[in-house]
Parts: sequence; C-alpha cells; structure tokens
Amino acid sequence: MTEDLDECYDVIVKLSKKGGQLIHERIWSQKSVQFKSCEVDLVTETDQEVEKLLISSLKSKFPGHKFIGEESTAAGIKCELTDYPTWIIDPVDGTMNFVHGYPNVCVSVALWVDKVAEIGIIYNPVLELFFSARRGQGAFLNGKPIHVSQENDLSKSLIGYEFGTSRDPEKMKVVMENMNILTPLVHGVRSTGSCAQNMAMVALGGTDANFEYGIHAWDIAAGYLIVTEAGGVVIDPAGGPFDVLSRRYLCACSQDLADQLVTIIKQHYPERD
Amino acid sequence: MKHDVDQYFETVLGITRDAGKIIKEGIARTKNVDTKLGSWDLVTQYDRRVENVLMKEISKKFPSHKFIAEETNAEQKATPELTNAPTWIIDPIDGTTNFVHGFHLTCISIALSIEKEVVIGIIYNPILDQLFTAIKGQGAHLNNQRINASQVEELCKSMVCLESSFACIPSLKDSIMKRTEACVKVAHGIRVLGSAALALCYVAMGVAEAYHIDGLQCWDVAAGALIVREAGGIVLDSTGGTFDMMSHRILACGTKKLAEELVILFKKADASIIKININNG
Repeated sequence: MTEDLDECYDVIVKLSKKGGQLIHERIWSQKSVQFKSCEVDLVTETDQEVEKLLISSLKSKFPGHKFIGEESTAAGIKCELTDYPTWIIDPVDGTMNFVHGYPNVCVSVALWVDKVAEIGIIYNPVLELFFSARRGQGAFLNGKPIHVSQENDLSKSLIGYEFGTSRDPEKMKVVMENMNILTPLVHGVRSTGSCAQNMAMVALGGTDANFEYGIHAWDIAAGYLIVTEAGGVVIDPAGGPFDVLSRRYLCACSQDLADQLVTIIKQHYPERD
Repeated sequence: MKHDVDQYFETVLGITRDAGKIIKEGIARTKNVDTKLGSWDLVTQYDRRVENVLMKEISKKFPSHKFIAEETNAEQKATPELTNAPTWIIDPIDGTTNFVHGFHLTCISIALSIEKEVVIGIIYNPILDQLFTAIKGQGAHLNNQRINASQVEELCKSMVCLESSFACIPSLKDSIMKRTEACVKVAHGIRVLGSAALALCYVAMGVAEAYHIDGLQCWDVAAGALIVREAGGIVLDSTGGTFDMMSHRILACGTKKLAEELVILFKKADASIIKININNG
C-alpha cells in the first residue's frame, strides 16, 4: 500500500507539539498518580490524555492505520506489528520524571509501514528539544541536522544507563552487575530517566551508547529511526538484529563500540511485548 | 569592613553570563584534552579560558578579593585554604565530562565566601539558559523565579541524584556501588547527571529530593549548597554531621527527615562492605 508519508509527517509533527504543550502546562502542577506493575511504574491522567489526543486525531485522519500505544495496550495482551501502517506511541516517556517535575519528559511517536520505521519523533517540551527523522532523510534536532559521535574507544565513551522501573530481583541484579562492569571501563554513565531521551542523546552525539532491558516497543520505536538516521546503530544487546517487540535494545555511535559493549554486558530477557 | 553583597552579586552575575558564551562556543567543537587526576577528571582549554576571564574581570572590579579556583589550584598543586577575606570559589566548567561530549548538563559555578561563610551562589548553564542564584537571606531563584526544595520526607517517594560513575575511582568504588544499590531498592528513581552544581540546583528546584556525593572539591558544591539552603532545603555532611565544603562530603535534601533516612541507609551500606571484607579477608 502507498501512504502519503509527507502528510503523515506533517500531521504527527503538529500533534506531537500539541501533546507536548499539555505536558509542559502540567509538569509543575498537582497530578493524580496510579501504579501499574509496581510502585515505581506510574501513570498519570496526562499520559492518558495525551495518548487519547494523538490516537483519536490520527484515527480520524488515517482510518486504516493501526496503533500500539502504551496506555491503550491492555496488560497481558501481546502486541502485534503487522504490515499495516502502525503508529507506536509513548505519550509521556519518563512518567516518573513528570511526576517529580524533573525535566526529562518526552512524547515519543513512530510510524512503521511494512514493518519498517518511516517516521520518528521524540519531543521534550520542557527543554524544547524536538528530535525528528524520516527514513533516508537524516535526523534533526529543532530543524538542524544531527549526527552520532565518532567515539570508538570504550574508555572515552559516555554511556546512557538506567536503573529502571522494575523491582524484579533478577532484573535488578543484572542492572547492578552491568553498572559494576561498566563504571571502571567507560568515561562516565548518565541516567536521564527517559528511554527515548537516552536514545536521542546518542543520535545527538551527547552520549556514545545506551542500552536497556525491560522497556517497551513504544519507548524505542522512534529512537531506533532517529539513531540510525543520525549514522548510529541499533541492535539487540546480545549482538543480533534489533527487534522492536523484544523489550531489549543497544544503540551506539558505531558497530565497533556496540560490539565492545556486547562482549562485556550481562543479558536479561524480559517477556516480549 | 562593610561589604555591599548586592553590588558584588550584580557585578559578578554580568561577568558570569558573559563567560557562559565561551562554554556555548566550545561545546560542539573538538577540544584538546589533557588528563588530570585520572581519566575521569578532565581539563580543557575552555576550562582555563573561562576561569581566566572570571578571575581577570572580578579582580578589575574588586582588586582586594581572593580566589579559590579549580584550574589555578591544579596548576599550583595547592590545597585550597579558605580565609576570612572575601573569596570567590570558582568551578569554571562543572560537568567537564559532559562538556567534552557535548552533553547539555554543564555550567559555571561561582560562590562568594566572606568570613568563611558563603553569601552568594551563582550557577549558570548557558546551553539551556538556566541561571540559578542565591544571596544569603534572600531565597533561591531560577531565571528570577523563586524556587523551593521538595517537601517529600520518605525515600520511597523520592528521586535521588547520585554520581554513580565516580565508581571508576578505585578507592570510592565499593562505597558508591553499595550506596547506589541501597538507594535503587527503595527510591522512586536514581538520576546521574555528571554535574554536582546542577544536581544541587535540581534539589533546590524540588524536582529531585536528594543529591549525594563524596569525593568532590569545594568549588563543585559551594554555590549549590547555598542555593539549596536558600530554597528551604538542608545540606549536611554525608555522615550526618555539619556540612563543611572543604571536607569533600555532601548530602543535600529537601527535608531533614529524608536526610536522616539516607544517612542511616549509607551507614548500613558501608557496614556491609566491611562485613564482606572481613569474610573475604
């Protein structure tokens, strides 16, 4: 099927900015917070509203399109990515940050067609960082082209790393083990609290690599395109090809740096999306 | 001697803003990097440039004032000594690792101490255009808007900023990893910024509830500690005692109760290291 991707892109840019505006208006006011899978996995009414805004507007514009959205994906139901044009949406990536007023909060939206990423948007409305990419057209921050760093020396690399929003003891053990392994070997480790922002930082060249387990398709679908269009690589953390439903990813400025990380990090395999 | 602290503040604010342009200019460019004290602690030509500009311009306006500044101190291989004289305590680029990588959390941190008490704190991130300021007794501000520390009292509801990647320093590794792990198990979230000054500002803003690091210098924390206190937060030694900016230890929190909980948590974490060493030893 042929999609008017230019139209899709124009529409989603406007909608992402609208969603971002809601986030910016509310980040420093009272919120009602609910727990999802555990006491550090949160959702607010803003998450739900931004997702509704995006999905309802996209549905009315593009009636044949499918959706994989964080808040509308019922717990326990498996996600399915078909060849249909599919919007993969995290309305508020970094909900813990949003709850605290901490500025690393992003709208993350991607359009995949025939299981290929065509459009990726990561928008942090608090810091006014609008990352975007179209397949084959490069990656941009606020309209200016961006490129990953050139750092292939692990000892000089800055790594994006998260402690996560899971209290699963097995996962936490791997998280601390990897921290122990990495810290003596790299230049530094940075935790922003937003997976999408972590990937965008690699695309920008502000960090050199980033990996995480346990995140979801909606956290990484846009970052995948933005990093690759910025000249970087996105793979499975064990070295194989990236799988957007696997809940695992490793992105880096180069295959060389990615391979160095693959040989040293411990693995964790969450249940697939 | 009578001091016009407001005048000192206004003058140095302007000088700091101007010096921030050097950081903005440098962040995306290739820089020469020398190593100092190991690969985790870098000096760049921009560090020196910013510091020289600050010291030169402040000396022109206030010739009797003294300085404790990071790069000058490193070159002279001196241990900083704080006297009663008005002394500007300067970190020209806090978050140098971030700076050399083009990561946006980097800032100038500058404090004024008079009779060994910090009375002015200025922290300026020119990349995000965030100016954090405090004058003793006049509250804390971000871009001229008043800011207040968080009132959260429990660690289980708190966001904690740590410098976990300092664990690359062998003498600090065990302590940092154990304290990090202890926090990870309880806190809402852990954030690692790579800039002590900006992490202190986040506590002052109330977007994080706590910041802790052992192993830094007075110029990293002097301004931020005042900004946290003026925002209503509390700053202690990480052992629970009185904060001394020359001591290399800091724990900054929105509330006293949270600080007390963290002090106990750190003591337990450290004790578990001793236990392991005894068992292995």
